[in-house]
Amino acid sequence: MQRPDFLLSFFLVTLIVGCSGGNGDGLNVSGRPLSEAADVPLAATLESIQSNVFDPSCTLCHAGANAPQGLRLDTANSFTNLVGIRSRENGSVLRVAPGEPNNSYLVRKLEGTASVGERMPLGGPPIPQATIDFVRQWITDGALADSTGPSDSAPLIVSLTPMPDSVGAFPVEIIVGFDRDMDASTINAMTFELIRSGGDGQFDDGNEEVIVPSSVSLSSMNARVAIMDLAGVAGVLDRYQVTLRGTGANVMLSVVGRALDGEYTGSLPSGDGLEGGDFVVVFDVQGLQPTLESIQANIFSPTCAVAGCHTGPTGPNLPSGMDLSSADASFASLVNVASVEVPTTLRVAAGDANSSYLIHKLEGSAAVGAQMPFGGPFLDQSTMDVIRVWIDSGAAR
Amino acid sequence: MNRTVGYRLRCIAFALIGQALLSQSVLAEPYIAVRTGLKCTVCHTSPSGGGKRTAYGNVYAQTQLVARTLDLGNLWTGEINRYLAVGGDIRGGWSKTDVPGQATSSDTELDELLAYVEVRPFPQYLMIYADAKLRPDDPTIRELYARLSLGEGRWTIRAGEFFLPFGFRLQDDDAFIRQVPGINYNTPDSGWEIGLERGKWSAQFAVTRGTAGGPETDSGKQYSLRVSHVATMWRVGGSFNFNDAKVGDRQMQSVFAGLRTGPVAWLGEIVYIIDDGTATGRRRLWASLLEANYTPRKGHNLKMSFEFFDPDSSVSEDEQNRLSLVWEYFPMQFFRTRLGYRRYKGIPQNPAQNREQFFLELHIPF
Repeated sequence: MQRPDFLLSFFLVTLIVGCSGGNGDGLNVSGRPLSEAADVPLAATLESIQSNVFDPSCTLCHAGANAPQGLRLDTANSFTNLVGIRSRENGSVLRVAPGEPNNSYLVRKLEGTASVGERMPLGGPPIPQATIDFVRQWITDGALADSTGPSDSAPLIVSLTPMPDSVGAFPVEIIVGFDRDMDASTINAMTFELIRSGGDGQFDDGNEEVIVPSSVSLSSMNARVAIMDLAGVAGVLDRYQVTLRGTGANVMLSVVGRALDGEYTGSLPSGDGLEGGDFVVVFDVQGLQPTLESIQANIFSPTCAVAGCHTGPTGPNLPSGMDLSSADASFASLVNVASVEVPTTLRVAAGDANSSYLIHKLEGSAAVGAQMPFGGPFLDQSTMDVIRVWIDSGAAR
Repeated sequence: MNRTVGYRLRCIAFALIGQALLSQSVLAEPYIAVRTGLKCTVCHTSPSGGGKRTAYGNVYAQTQLVARTLDLGNLWTGEINRYLAVGGDIRGGWSKTDVPGQATSSDTELDELLAYVEVRPFPQYLMIYADAKLRPDDPTIRELYARLSLGEGRWTIRAGEFFLPFGFRLQDDDAFIRQVPGINYNTPDSGWEIGLERGKWSAQFAVTRGTAGGPETDSGKQYSLRVSHVATMWRVGGSFNFNDAKVGDRQMQSVFAGLRTGPVAWLGEIVYIIDDGTATGRRRLWASLLEANYTPRKGHNLKMSFEFFDPDSSVSEDEQNRLSLVWEYFPMQFFRTRLGYRRYKGIPQNPAQNREQFFLELHIPF
């Protein structure tokens, strides 16, 4: 048998001599020449995320004709490959759902909570959560394309969350994206309104109810995003109408004083090419809502409080001791109550879904015991996201 | 080993080596193929390597790879009957990653639970094969295809979803020669493939969607060609791949070789890519691997590899490399461990390109 000493020595010398990467002179964090693209501070904008996340961490694979799942994340393609595009691994979820980071597959893949496939970047160290939070914020702000600065044209609406004519849970906020920077002083409750139909789906018969939001403002992190904050507003199953004013005494203006071109004819962006015009769309609130009553009626009662499971009475013995048989019992058993399986964790930590054992059990990430509902079928992510919203908004009774 | 088992092993070995000489070539864990001088299809069902092991592969793994073979009764071959065969892999482990300037992270998890099913409605002629990833996460099908064998196995035609033929098929998808071309265990593609076996030569030509696992998006196709020559002590081959894509063409070519020198099995591959689908126009990339596998004694393998990656040949000082040192131990049948260290070196302004990783992997193949 030939001794391997010489060959191994040769190999090790080769490694030692060759084991140095490029020195990075004149390059940005992605390894591209600074003359081509300078480093950009981390911020909740696509340009910054492109420079700090996609280029250095994703484009090794997600570029070119062989990009996995056809997802190309280079500068020229990331926006059009992500925003509003269905995931190919999980077709029920958009890669980026503007305004909804929890429902965006990109976030799930980065945070390692996607139901299919491995956490991204594949084989690499996870992106720090502090960096992912900027991705979340960009999505929360409407997932807009890069800013091109002020323009003399009338501003258009390019995105709305919830989407026009959509059906779903009552939103915790309404997010509007514009195609240019807006004048913050014109974004207020007089130019951005929400009413509900009064139960008949009509908005012209006098029984409508004006919704009073917590606030209406331009995003402090993105001058192209207006946010109506609905925290504390009780959602009611009904049809809702959103109006953004482009005509009348109070109108939304761009930073150069051009009025909103808001006419909506079934697709975005808005506008008829002429300055002025109101943006009027509707959405419906139906089904599971982020309230305990709704979660009780739709999930806890039919799925958890079944014979032999979480039926009560309250006590230390599981599963019956975690009583989910009524909204009152569920509130008493869950909210700010320590888990029996993992006493250091609250079953529902009000305001913090990620730290809530209920979420860990439903999503199958708990350290102890089986994923719930026991034996399945398990809740889909959109349902769990509604529970998350209820917890994150304070887990009110 | 008793006489019954020995007789059975000899029968299986003779039959499958004979079959291997007539069937397609592929590479799964390529250093084993280099060490034995056999084509990988001797041990694996898939013509692209990896996945389900053949009866010979199972027997070889239980008797030749391991430090000792425990007497557990009959050897597992995966053959239920002449029409059906099954197999699986369970992988999990622990890893610790140090990224400069960031908190050390560690992870313990089940990496994958794979199941393989091979149905042979007409043995020796038609096979239907499925490779499913059951855990973690939701179950997904990685490969699902039908394969028709003609001319006593010299010609094969398969259609469905499968891993494309290109270069060495390493287990490690993070190796530059696997990650950069984008042809790995995460990116099966749909289409058809024709294979030819003639003496020591093997060739596969595939026409697929070119969407790396996604649905069809344009009329362009991806064309993959792989040719190899396998001798007892060495092997050499070349691959060519052209993806005609609306978003920008990509052309890839590689040369690869294996050599056995005493107890060391060497692997080498160089990949050159011309990518027209970038924001800055045409880009030329290089990726390479040099790997040595040293067997100090039966059941042990010391793997050392050095990899190089140049993301753009027109840009200076952007190169990356990766050094790996892995000890593989096969204490007994159905049980493998890998203890390893990897060091990445890249541009200093990108901490992730300069990370270190320690890992321990447990693998249960059957």
